[in-house]
Amino acid sequence: MDQFLQDEILTELEDAVGRSNCSSREIDKLTHSVDYFWLSRMWADRGLKMPEADIVVSPKDAKETSKVLQIADYYRIPVTTWGGGGGTQGGALPVCNGIVLDTKRMNKIYDINTDSLYIECGTGAVYKDLEWAANERGYATMHYPSSLTCSTVGGFLAHRGIGVSSTKYGKIDDMALQMEVVLANGDIIYTSPTPKHAAGPDLNQIFIGSEGTLGVITKAQMRIYRQPEVRRFRGFLFHNMTDAICAGRELLQSFKPSVMRLYDEAETSSLIKKIVGVSKPGAFMNLAIEGDKKLADVECEIMLDIFARYHAEDLGSEYGEKWWKEKIAFFYPGNMMDIPQMFGTMDTIATYSNVEKIYWAMKKAIETNYPMAKFIAHFSHWYEWGCMMYDRFIVDNPPQDPHEALRLHNEIWTTGVRTAIANGGTINDHHGVGIKLGRMMKEEYGSAMQVFQGLKKELDPNGIMNPFKLGL
Amino acid sequence: MVSKKSRNIMDNCRFCWMCRHICPVGHYTGLERNTARARMLALSMVERGEDISMAIDNVYECMCCGACTKECVTGFDPVYAIMEVRKEAALAGKTPGYIGMLVDKVGKSGNVYGKKSVDKDLTKTIKSVSRKTDTLFLLGPDVIYKAPSLAVKAIELLKKSGTGFTVLEKEPNTGAALYFLLGEVGETREAAEKAATVLNNYEKIIIYEPFEAKVIIQQYRAWGIRLTAKICTFTAFLSELMKNKLLKPAKTKEKYTYQDASALARDLEETKPAENIIDSCGVYKPMLLHGKDTFSAGNLIMNEYMPDVMKGIASKRWENVPYTEADTMITSSTAEYLLLKQTAPKGKKVMALEELVLKSI
Repeated sequence: MDQFLQDEILTELEDAVGRSNCSSREIDKLTHSVDYFWLSRMWADRGLKMPEADIVVSPKDAKETSKVLQIADYYRIPVTTWGGGGGTQGGALPVCNGIVLDTKRMNKIYDINTDSLYIECGTGAVYKDLEWAANERGYATMHYPSSLTCSTVGGFLAHRGIGVSSTKYGKIDDMALQMEVVLANGDIIYTSPTPKHAAGPDLNQIFIGSEGTLGVITKAQMRIYRQPEVRRFRGFLFHNMTDAICAGRELLQSFKPSVMRLYDEAETSSLIKKIVGVSKPGAFMNLAIEGDKKLADVECEIMLDIFARYHAEDLGSEYGEKWWKEKIAFFYPGNMMDIPQMFGTMDTIATYSNVEKIYWAMKKAIETNYPMAKFIAHFSHWYEWGCMMYDRFIVDNPPQDPHEALRLHNEIWTTGVRTAIANGGTINDHHGVGIKLGRMMKEEYGSAMQVFQGLKKELDPNGIMNPFKLGL
Repeated sequence: MVSKKSRNIMDNCRFCWMCRHICPVGHYTGLERNTARARMLALSMVERGEDISMAIDNVYECMCCGACTKECVTGFDPVYAIMEVRKEAALAGKTPGYIGMLVDKVGKSGNVYGKKSVDKDLTKTIKSVSRKTDTLFLLGPDVIYKAPSLAVKAIELLKKSGTGFTVLEKEPNTGAALYFLLGEVGETREAAEKAATVLNNYEKIIIYEPFEAKVIIQQYRAWGIRLTAKICTFTAFLSELMKNKLLKPAKTKEKYTYQDASALARDLEETKPAENIIDSCGVYKPMLLHGKDTFSAGNLIMNEYMPDVMKGIASKRWENVPYTEADTMITSSTAEYLLLKQTAPKGKKVMALEELVLKSI
């Protein structure tokens, strides 16, 4: 952007949100140019500059957001919404420069409704703030992703995030009641007052997962839950993946545990030694059953019956209890994979008819085509009809040259995701699409893509909202 | 520019977000740069060739309260890196001008406020306890110049215990403010060494201000400055006086909550004394994020150059009070006393620990 025009626009934006909430400082541009996407981190690590915003603005509510979008729309300036920047898909990166709209000033908690069990808040609130607010009153959000302390309500909504207890309590898309959204033309709209209705297509589900391409979600009502009377963990070792998946399916078709995590043989071999002290082959499953004590007792009995029929070895509760306390410790530096390693989570989801097939196909596709890559997987979010697969590739020594590293990274992703789609899976379960997987959207949806494109054309005719994301 | 240790901290923190939720500055401002991650990302780019001018102002937007350090399960310490950067910037002449002005004030007056004359009532009170004893009660410039009435009350409370103690009419500059502003530069150490020669005339030292206590107890040792006196915080001393029945507050049913000072709760790992004091006077109702998890409610040095943010941080802390059912927040640091008092919602009060105990005896 030409400096004169940028200064003109900056003064308009300062008028909209206040001078101290508008910045073209180098540090603000830098810190909004690197998110959790591996490629952006690798780029910064190699001393290269990622695309940066021209201006970072921080509106405090929907009205200010509306003013910002009206200005951007008029001048045809790209707007990238940034919550915590904790996304792994590059969705928050300002690849076309322009404006970064940081939502974190919209972090107010407006209402905690203990009759209808929801918290109404600005979408710039870090989810941990909601958890604290709920805990103070004896409730909980039950949304426990690893990014609970880093990411915002809006960020989770934007990419359809998930937490470890989703099997019982649902994904983020199950947790939203009404939302307030600002469109590219500045209009402030409200979705239906309840998520269940027969009043036409569901506006919530149009904006949830839209990753800032159709509008900016500024306020939301997010469900809270009563704290469970009991939460009980149990670990089991199955002889093989097939038995474990079948047992898991049968369990889900009886009742819903809160946590259910099945590790493939590769992950099991390293885990099981830590749990029982000896290496044993098989597939390890960690579960939690929670809720009313009487119900939990009955569910435990059902679980033990089902798993006994699949000859699972009962490994007790110690692992699960320890895992629950330390469930996000893995993601801290030093514990987690990090640069210089190349890695990615190619999560997908499928019906029970397809999920095991996808697992073996992806494992073969990655290990055959990229022998330098390690492939590990676990299955961590389950439904009556299927489950998701949280599979990772890890390359310990990727190319030093950043362009070569980018090329390899994208090739591995394309191979893995294409294999998932070809076998009945989706391009992603809960991390979103961003820029990383935008090119695969057409492959998954084919002619259905025109539905998204039609919405995009109508809601964002000037194409300013998070360009080149979501394949739009 | 920095040590291997700081470089390692920067390189590990720069892509991690896990402590975002716990930064009191970021929590209030909502600005991405007010997070340990963003600060370390910027500094890691400085280490990779960017100019320090891009990042240095942001380095001074950190309260160094240690919440991020405490939160990190893998032991990374962003505050360590920040303090080293402050030092290196000072040595390279890159300290921002507004910080330089505060340093000049310390040089001329011994405090960041540039004040030399002390409140009349406090002067009179100090004169009454200026006779040399073996115990020194070190007030610190924050309470002397910003809340002298509290200093008077603290002295009066100690007098009521019958303990003999001395308050200096002119206290030495301990180097605490310089340490916060410039890190471990020559001027900081010089001030600390000079202060030590005064402090070593006493057998026991009671330190009023938590941050001052942290610097004297921890940093002096790290700098090889030997103190012969037994040192304790004012909070711990009060608790001891109560335990020994030298102060006998009457316990009421009134509910109090407490703002743990981060220097006491995290750096010095001292949480029980204040809880015991409050519990002896009334009913202690902890807030969300108390003890080692405390959410800092302000810093007086930063109040000199970013007062709106400090006020905002304090006002945000009041959001945690309603669920305690307490109407009164007790404090143990002058900064938090003043900022919380300034932002107290209608019907809510702030009392320093000494005010609470005086009221109860």
